Amino acid sequence: MSRTFRLFIFYCTRAFENEAEFAEFPTAADPALEIHAVPMACSSMVKDLFLLKALEAGADAVTVWVCPEGACRHGEGNLRARKRVQRVQSLLDEIELDGRRLTFFHLAPGDRSSVMEILREISGALVRMGKNPAGIRKDRLEKTGSPQQNILKKPKTASKPNLDKGEPIHDRR
Amino acid sequence: MIVGEQKPIKEILKMTAPHHKLLVLGCGTCVETCFAGGEDEVAALASLLRLASRKDGRSLHIEEFTVERQCEDAFIAEAAEAVARNEAVLSLACGAGVQAVARRFPRFRVLPGVNTTFIGVLEHRGVFTEECSGCGDCQLAMFGGVCPFSRCAKKLLNGPCGGSRNGKCEVNADTDCAWHLIIERLTALGRLNELRTYVPPKNWQPSLSGGPRRLIREDHIL
Amino acid sequence: MKTEPASRLERLLSQGRFAVTAECGPPRGANGEVIRRKGALLKGAVDAVNVTDNQTAIVRMSSIAAAKHLLDSGIEPVMQMVTRDRNRIALQSDILGAYALGIRNILCLSGDHQCFGSQPDALNVFDIDSMNLIRTVRTMKEDGTDMSGHPLDEPPNMFIGAAANPFADPFEYRVLRLAKKIDAGADFIQTQCIYNLERFKKWMEMAAGEGLTEKVHILAGVTPLKSAGMAKYMARNVAGMDIPEAILNRMAGVPKENAAGEGIAICLETIAALREMPGVHGIHIMAIEWEEQVRPIVEQAGLLPRP
Repeated sequence: MSRTFRLFIFYCTRAFENEAEFAEFPTAADPALEIHAVPMACSSMVKDLFLLKALEAGADAVTVWVCPEGACRHGEGNLRARKRVQRVQSLLDEIELDGRRLTFFHLAPGDRSSVMEILREISGALVRMGKNPAGIRKDRLEKTGSPQQNILKKPKTASKPNLDKGEPIHDRR
Repeated sequence: MIVGEQKPIKEILKMTAPHHKLLVLGCGTCVETCFAGGEDEVAALASLLRLASRKDGRSLHIEEFTVERQCEDAFIAEAAEAVARNEAVLSLACGAGVQAVARRFPRFRVLPGVNTTFIGVLEHRGVFTEECSGCGDCQLAMFGGVCPFSRCAKKLLNGPCGGSRNGKCEVNADTDCAWHLIIERLTALGRLNELRTYVPPKNWQPSLSGGPRRLIREDHIL
Repeated sequence: MKTEPASRLERLLSQGRFAVTAECGPPRGANGEVIRRKGALLKGAVDAVNVTDNQTAIVRMSSIAAAKHLLDSGIEPVMQMVTRDRNRIALQSDILGAYALGIRNILCLSGDHQCFGSQPDALNVFDIDSMNLIRTVRTMKEDGTDMSGHPLDEPPNMFIGAAANPFADPFEYRVLRLAKKIDAGADFIQTQCIYNLERFKKWMEMAAGEGLTEKVHILAGVTPLKSAGMAKYMARNVAGMDIPEAILNRMAGVPKENAAGEGIAICLETIAALREMPGVHGIHIMAIEWEEQVRPIVEQAGLLPRP
């Protein structure tokens, strides 16, 4: 049986340039990775909320790819990203959702072999950890518009909104 | 500002466990500045609570709402409809805000999501330090602008004790010895000899020792 | 108005005799026999014995009770009182009670913070500080009133002591603090244990320069080192402790079985040097849980018999 895991990648566009590279990852392989990529102008734009929302949206794993140490064009963006990732990892451990579902890597642009290695490592880890027990049970997320809009969009449900699924109601003051 | 820290998630989960419809209520003033209970923190906490409850197969509906401050009734009132839609409120305000909300909505269970700690300042990015304990009788002029009640672990008026080491307190090597700072400050001001003056015991009546305090401004009451 | 010496210790010091005091800690229990046994080791070897007050914030039998046990054994106690655990009401009450039981020497301290002890979760009192406590006892003694101004039926005539640490920082400020304690009412001082004689001598000279050695009796603290490990631990972990390299090397330089002997030898050398220093009116031997060494040390220092 072929297993598919859902992976969200938040990446700095300077660390990793071409999303098309994901197409090269063998999706027919077992396990397969359904990848949702979210580009950012700097990895410092990653907020704890985005990582958590990705998991709510059914991500089985979330990974954050940043520029190599010392190479962030904004100085400390990758350091901030690492701190936030570390915090969310420990929060996930606290709620027993396994902080290892969230990973963090430094990447230099064009380093495709590392990308492949990272994806293989994540697949392997997912086989051990299993599916995210807290994610929404949908086969595929609808892909409309850019990946950023995708992550922030509420997943479509066939029936009326089910309050038990805990849809957030934002009311900004 | 008032500084606080969000409670450990395990404690929040345990506290909110009996409820299935929860309003997470944030505050946009002090707790937002110390990253404990502002709008962003409300969103992240709500997300975490949903993940935790889904993982356990528990039904939990969360509503998110943030008001300007929870220490003034006019602002709390704006949350009335949101409160009415839920069973319980997890307030991320300081202890004063939690109590004000509970007072306003006595038929709803209001739970504290933040541990309120102290009156303090932002020392540098990410670091908040306690400065004032609200003693009700400020004597900072005597101590070169460094408070020995709040910043000396022994509340010494005629300090220092013999326990400081390299200018740090015996209780915590990261904490400056307040009396060291007082001596430095008064030396810089050319007033070190003022410390020769005996300081008598503090009158604790204006502080919490006199019971919970009230401030009444007659000139503002019609 | 105080007319006659409050205690044997005061009498000896006012007669210009070189005094010797020691220390003993009450037990972590309710058995008074433990303190009596320690007292028996010290009786006749020293002029007075300090009884600590929940030292290091560890719950022990109260100093007032332990002091009474010593008194009943014929030993003069110096009751230590810290401001960490009790407010001014309780402290004044205990001063009156101690006096009523026959206790005549009191050492006023702030106390180690409770984070070091057996009850770090306790509410920290520190209603008043050691300086306020010194002044309170003096007011009771000389003015015959308590802190609220209420006249006392019998003013407790106590010999008032305070602690001083010549090695704590900031060094320059220490003499100012000593002066302040004397002004507040301290009759005698017991210092932190001394290993760095040079630094202590400097402090004594600064104190003498201010005329302080005329106004107060200074008893220099000494502690015999048991082992090289103890020396290293104290040097590294105890605030306000100054143990010079030379001493650490001496302790480390002898075989383990001779370490205690070396520690006592260093102690005796220190005592001999202190006896020569002007302004030093006695020694205070702190041999915690090693009380059996006090008599031999006093004897070898040539300070027996006690007057």
